Amino acid sequence: MTNAIEIKNLNKKYKDFQLKDVNFKVPRGSIVGFIGENGAGKTTTIKAMLNLVKRDEGTIEMLGMDTLKDEKKIKESVGVVMDGCNFHDNLKTGDISKMLNSIYKNWNTQLFQNYLKKFILPENKIIKEFSRGMKMKLQIAVALSHEPELLILDEATSGLDPIVREEILDVFMEFIQDEKHAILISSHITSDLDKIADYIVFIHQGEILLDEEKETLLSKMGILKCGEEDFRKLESDEYIRYRKNQFSFEVLVNDKVAIRKKYPDAVVDGVTIEQIMLFYVRGEK
Amino acid sequence: MKGLILKDLLNLKSTFKMLGLMIFLFAVIYIPQGNGFIFGMIILMVSMMVVTTISYDDLAKWDAYALTMPVTRKEIVLSKYLVMALLNTLGAVLALIVGIIGSMIMGQSFSTEVLAIIGVLYLIAFSYGSMMVPLIYRFGTEKARLMLILSALIPTGLILLVTQMQIPLPEAANPLIYFFLLLGFTVIMVFVSFFISLRIYSNKEF
Repeated sequence: MTNAIEIKNLNKKYKDFQLKDVNFKVPRGSIVGFIGENGAGKTTTIKAMLNLVKRDEGTIEMLGMDTLKDEKKIKESVGVVMDGCNFHDNLKTGDISKMLNSIYKNWNTQLFQNYLKKFILPENKIIKEFSRGMKMKLQIAVALSHEPELLILDEATSGLDPIVREEILDVFMEFIQDEKHAILISSHITSDLDKIADYIVFIHQGEILLDEEKETLLSKMGILKCGEEDFRKLESDEYIRYRKNQFSFEVLVNDKVAIRKKYPDAVVDGVTIEQIMLFYVRGEK
Repeated sequence: MKGLILKDLLNLKSTFKMLGLMIFLFAVIYIPQGNGFIFGMIILMVSMMVVTTISYDDLAKWDAYALTMPVTRKEIVLSKYLVMALLNTLGAVLALIVGIIGSMIMGQSFSTEVLAIIGVLYLIAFSYGSMMVPLIYRFGTEKARLMLILSALIPTGLILLVTQMQIPLPEAANPLIYFFLLLGFTVIMVFVSFFISLRIYSNKEF
């Protein structure tokens, strides 16, 4: 399986923040959820991939090409949605189609029209009068209408109501049916990723903490609830992080099956991506 | 590239309508007075619209988004200079039309003096724009606007000073020499400005 995105040793230093040796891959045919709290480095990583900021070190390949050498060629086949609407307030959808028709070689006016219909976006209104959900749907329609192979979505679902979000997730699932396609989706709405992601890449303070198949993560990790006495009995390699409550300990464990076996009386629950994130960021080692 | 220029023109659509109305009003007021001031107003108003397009882009955070498309930074900068050239030319043509219609209404023949004024203003619009664009890319529209007002005051002040001190201006035998000097100066300004803008823009991080 080839990779749609391959990032190696990406480094970027700012005064008060840095990306440290970021490595990860987005295999074709899969959806990778890129998670982390605000300011963890998700957007900076995505901007470095698109050459919106200059990296200090590292190589980035997209669709098998180097992003510095073949930038223009790559961008013909990549659709990007950023947090917010980037079209000017006074334009209408027809204006956007006209303009992008002469920017993208593969702009497909018919496809764009179909998406507008599907998303019920009005053709005679200016963008300024669009609701936030409509603006986001417009951006996604645009990102899909030049027939890209790769979608990069930076917080594309945040700030939307659950119904619109599900509509959009359905479109992504449809897009990924083609095995050449791939999606990198950064989000802090982890429930969306619970639904659609194949892999989870977790970034924290500019470093990748976790890069794993989602199913493996969810089937292996678990949360052990116990008292202090039992917690002290755990070996340090049996858990990842713990959080202390008033009366009990909550422990994120590597392998819930093994723990259940070893401590048959213990309560070990399954885990969601949100809980994993919380444990990593707020829990103690 | 064509798409980028189209984007600016589409964005200015509503501004154009307003501008047409303003030009009409100015023409009604100033033409009967036989005042050359109106040509300056028209060219200035139209040529300043390139600044409007840049502030629209800023408002929409367009540039970062445009760079996710198959568009290079060089093309973005070049498109702005082409839009500037288009707008300046449009301004000059509009001024010319107003001049011709004005002289027809007033029952005068169209004087070459008007043609000369428009030609000179056309070139000055390019020089002014060439100063403006790199300043905007470096400092943002709001600060650059202030700087430009200041920078317009300097030459005005100098001219006032020269006339106050009654230094005799050199008189060339042929006024065309001035025109060609200005033309040369403008062409150099535009080229230098473009390369400065490109440099600033290439190092920009979004």
